[in-house]
Amino acid sequence: MALARTEGLSYAYPGSAAPALRDVSVDLAPGQVTVVLGRSGSGKSTLLRAFAGLVPHFHGGRFSGRVEVAGLDTRRHHPARLAGTVATLFQDPEDQVVFTRVLNEVAFGLENVGTPPRQIEWRALEALRSVGAEHLAGRLVTELSGGELQRVCLAATLALEPQLLLLDEPTSQLDPEAAKALIELALQLARDRGTSVVLSEQRPVLPFEICDRVLFLEDGRLAFDGLVGRARTWLEQHHPLFVSDGGWAGVHRPTHGQVTCRLDGVSFAYEDNLLVLDSASIELRRGEIVALVGPNGSGKTTLAKLAAGLLEPLSGRVERRGRPTYLSQDPGRYVLRERAVDEVAVGVDGDLAAASRALAAVGLIGCEDRHPRDLSSGERERLALAAVLAPDPDLLVLDEPTRGVDPERKLELAALLRANTTRATLVVTHDVLFAKTVADRIVSLAPDRELANV
Amino acid sequence: MRPAPAAALLFGLAAAALLARHTVSVAALAALLLLVCLRAPVSRRWPYLVGAVGSAAALFVLTPFVERLPGTVYWSGPSIPVVGTLDVTSTELSGALFNACRLAAVSLAFAVYALWLDHDRLVQAAGFARRSVLAVALATRLVPALERDASGLVEALRGRGVEPEGLRGRARLLSPLLAGSLERSLNLAEAMEARGFGRPGATRLPQPRWGAREQVALAGAVLAVVVGALWL
Repeated sequence: MALARTEGLSYAYPGSAAPALRDVSVDLAPGQVTVVLGRSGSGKSTLLRAFAGLVPHFHGGRFSGRVEVAGLDTRRHHPARLAGTVATLFQDPEDQVVFTRVLNEVAFGLENVGTPPRQIEWRALEALRSVGAEHLAGRLVTELSGGELQRVCLAATLALEPQLLLLDEPTSQLDPEAAKALIELALQLARDRGTSVVLSEQRPVLPFEICDRVLFLEDGRLAFDGLVGRARTWLEQHHPLFVSDGGWAGVHRPTHGQVTCRLDGVSFAYEDNLLVLDSASIELRRGEIVALVGPNGSGKTTLAKLAAGLLEPLSGRVERRGRPTYLSQDPGRYVLRERAVDEVAVGVDGDLAAASRALAAVGLIGCEDRHPRDLSSGERERLALAAVLAPDPDLLVLDEPTRGVDPERKLELAALLRANTTRATLVVTHDVLFAKTVADRIVSLAPDRELANV
Repeated sequence: MRPAPAAALLFGLAAAALLARHTVSVAALAALLLLVCLRAPVSRRWPYLVGAVGSAAALFVLTPFVERLPGTVYWSGPSIPVVGTLDVTSTELSGALFNACRLAAVSLAFAVYALWLDHDRLVQAAGFARRSVLAVALATRLVPALERDASGLVEALRGRGVEPEGLRGRARLLSPLLAGSLERSLNLAEAMEARGFGRPGATRLPQPRWGAREQVALAGAVLAVVVGALWL
């Protein structure tokens, strides 16, 4: 018998003409691990929200069809009532943290579902232990790294011992090792308890090794639903980039262009005086794309900001020729103006023609007059990219430009960046596959702060 | 000390500052609270100090121009329609100083609450009105969150080669900051609902009993209000 099912589910968000989900029918069996794939905006997160009851209760909108979880109709039962039966781990851990201390955060869900008071603390500690984070129980969430915080959020969902665990791109902010560890841990714990798991992911290679079933969504429709073996064949035919293991790497160009930026023995420390970078040196030349890779906390973003002139080094020298621009990790920072074209024009002294050209280059033709906040998450990513491309910089620094971006969009981004042969580009990324595709040179920043060519 | 009696003590000190009649008493309370604030890390305390001291200073500067009280005239300016003749008198100045100290004391009491109290434990300790206490705790976290967001917006602007200059440049960040905080609050509300917040029958982590320090702090809170009303 199915633990959860959707029957003819269609849904459109308020104010949106196009449905996010169209006639989706799926059954989920207990203990089954299902991966949901699809391009950005294809409806993956919406499907997970429908299983949690958040669609339509929290978001409103037009809903038809039926969703049942553990025999409960989600239209009649609010998300809070479904909590405990269903638990959701969202994409961005910082947007789901309620308390400031780890133990309280994990205990929050247990309190809400009415766990007997004497059991709350040990169940919270047990959940933290199961994800290897018991030592964090007394820490402030603001002191944790991205990986640690996501583990705490996973513990908060596992503490509820749900029958259905929904993981919505939980690894998008983690380096490959941390992402692998988190997914393996979540799935192992879920299998041990017979929990049904639905995982939406942009990096499908790892989940393929451990999942049972694959759903592929296209424009809100269920384009494929089958076991993992059949899914590989289907994806190779229809969406080969989703099963690629690096075979789409581009041609790497030797470059002898002028040095646009040189960091020479640069060190840097934030307020706590701990060295984030120690005597790092790197050269960026016109016409080359350099990918900077390394684990969380290795100092990649700091180095990128030093290159772009947003930070001053503690010691060492930074030389720069021409104009740099820097793309922040968070596209939510490019929402200062009322129209997309005005937002992009901020960096070019209000030159609307240049801004329109930049929007066209990233595929946002026709979005000029829309408010940046009305754009989808994928469109916001592209708007942010247009904002830093518009000034036609001599040095382009991109900090995690593929976060939450699907494999097909990544290839388009790589092609766009490689089409330019006159500027130096530094791409900070966790995404080794993207680094191989886009970069002429890959530089690794190891935990010991050493820079090395890969 | 547990946060509930500490919050009560701060409330008592703020109430004493509002009830007191002498500028020296209010200034002493404000100075005491300022010293506690100054023990917090610089990166966390500055938005609160700027807010508290800045608003008190603004009140001190503006009050004499809008009040019309007798006394020794220190400065007399032009006559403005509706407002009348602008002047600054000794009575207006002393009244402005008194009100500025009051405002500073109350703002600094809030700053100490935001900087030093464990809001998680405060919410856990709330035997009733837990939703309201949680809302206050989340609102308190808004200040550092806004400060982080503002830094992010400025950084994204600088990343495009644009320096937000002057008051006007910074003021243009206010609207996106507020919109961003609304978006964040919606995300948080969604996550809270998914975790069962608002469901009837909620329980809470058992709380340890109060010790002597907590009882002294609670008595201190009551004493501060009484002393403020009768003698300060």
